[in-house]
Amino acid sequence: MGQGVHVQELMGIGKRYDIDTGDRSTRVSVVVRRDGTRDLYVFTSDSEEPTAVLELDEEHARKIGAVLAGTFFEA
Amino acid sequence: MHGELLSLGALILIAALIARLGRRFGLPTVPCYMIAGIVFGPGTPGPTLIEHPEDLSLLASLGLVLLLFHLGVEFPVEQVLGSGRRLFVAAGCYIGLNVTAGLVFGLALGWGVPEALVLAGALGISSSAIATKLLIEMRRLTNAETPVILGVIVIEDLFLAFYLALLQPVLSGAESPLLLARDIGISFGFLVLLFAVARYGARLIGALIHSHEDELLAIGMVGLVALVAGLSADVGLSDAIGALMIGLVVSRTSVRDRVERLVLPLRDVFAAVFFVAFGLSINIADLGPVVVPVLIAVVLTVLTNVTSGFIAARLYGFNQRAAANIGLTVLGRGEFSLILATLALAAGLDERVGPFVALYVLILAVLSPLLASQSRYLARVMPDRLLNPNWRYVREETISTACTHLDQIRIENTDIDYCQACGEDGEWVELRLCTSCGFVGCCNDSPNRHSEAHFRETEHPIIESLQPGQGWEYCYVDETLVREPMGSNRSESRSEN
Repeated sequence: MGQGVHVQELMGIGKRYDIDTGDRSTRVSVVVRRDGTRDLYVFTSDSEEPTAVLELDEEHARKIGAVLAGTFFEA
Repeated sequence: MHGELLSLGALILIAALIARLGRRFGLPTVPCYMIAGIVFGPGTPGPTLIEHPEDLSLLASLGLVLLLFHLGVEFPVEQVLGSGRRLFVAAGCYIGLNVTAGLVFGLALGWGVPEALVLAGALGISSSAIATKLLIEMRRLTNAETPVILGVIVIEDLFLAFYLALLQPVLSGAESPLLLARDIGISFGFLVLLFAVARYGARLIGALIHSHEDELLAIGMVGLVALVAGLSADVGLSDAIGALMIGLVVSRTSVRDRVERLVLPLRDVFAAVFFVAFGLSINIADLGPVVVPVLIAVVLTVLTNVTSGFIAARLYGFNQRAAANIGLTVLGRGEFSLILATLALAAGLDERVGPFVALYVLILAVLSPLLASQSRYLARVMPDRLLNPNWRYVREETISTACTHLDQIRIENTDIDYCQACGEDGEWVELRLCTSCGFVGCCNDSPNRHSEAHFRETEHPIIESLQPGQGWEYCYVDETLVREPMGSNRSESRSEN
């Protein structure tokens, strides 16, 4: 399953990344738009409607990414 | 001079404020700019900021040119070519149905054949900007039908290029069919030339405008675009098509990404002037007589859109909700309709085309976000038998699978309880059903992995787990789980076993 990340082209907008979280009812999709904006879609129920959608600019996306990846520490 | 600057500034600022107000209610920006032009133009009682719309004509045509240039620059050529036949069929159905309906409607109006051709385009080609914004705002970027919607609007842009090339010679009114054929020939010749430049001369064009400094790149770009647009207007094509084509050329150069970034604010500003200027040319008293035909056209457009949404959904194996979403999201009309109306007015066609398109765009601008957000109610009343007849649909639910092969699912149940390749006495862990042909094979944890071998042989993309209580589906091509709900009664029947 491609290491659990599936990429799909969204013509004219950017790319969609589906990330499996190991649990079938929980998954995360990220749309990276060509202008750098990231749309974070979170699905936590069996419904196909997203539970939460965040629109992040590049800077905020990077901040969240850094924290998630564990490369950002603050005592 | 400073008087003009004052009124231009006031008008543009008002347009921006109206658009901001409109955005609060989820309205697209293009019609808001147009309203500013209509309200403060010479054709409407009350304050008039700009007496002569033609004073803005140079700025407005720069707006039109930059609009189409940007479209060309960001046109995803490779992705369109690699997107497969099915998308072209879906887009072809959409365009064919909508443009034909527009043409028939235009002819029935009896304003004349060139007018009908303009209306065919104005009614048939949807607004990429409106559809894209709707998808983002309605949080539908990860829906299954979204790639199809985006593909359709991108192919529509391509169609627009050809339509403009065909239309301009007709509008310029050649005296005989022979001359008309010649003009169309020249048009397409010029198109082919620009295609050739795009294919072989992109490096040269890139070198011409290339600079490491953004300032110089931006100036070179604007100069080049205006030059090519003017040149194509000179040979009898519209400036619009020249701008679009040079955009495609630039999209193949190394400066593409920077150009895309630099042109965006310029495009936004000057395109707004273009929409405002269009509004200025509209006399509010002319809107009354076209109300009835506009309403008929709106109903017609909704019908053809919903129909083509259905066709696309059927092609891709989507459910009713996706069908409704496709039809209602691409409903918005905007920049392209106004461009076509501008061409018509410039060519001296029937003056009713202007107010007609203005009112049509306004109504659909309000209607399309409204209808698109309520698509579930349309989905509720769509009968199953119009889609894939063997499936049972979960009509109103959103599908968000990333798999595009749902249409190849034919079989979802079987009585076979052994791997057909291993034989009844073989060894396996779990069984998988090929949903295209019904072959039952062993899974990838089994020694022989016959299911995957079957996919390699036949390219049948989707398997379903036959393990009691599981019932999931997996697509080998897209390497993804096919998410429910998809239809079929498998989950209930399996859990009973």
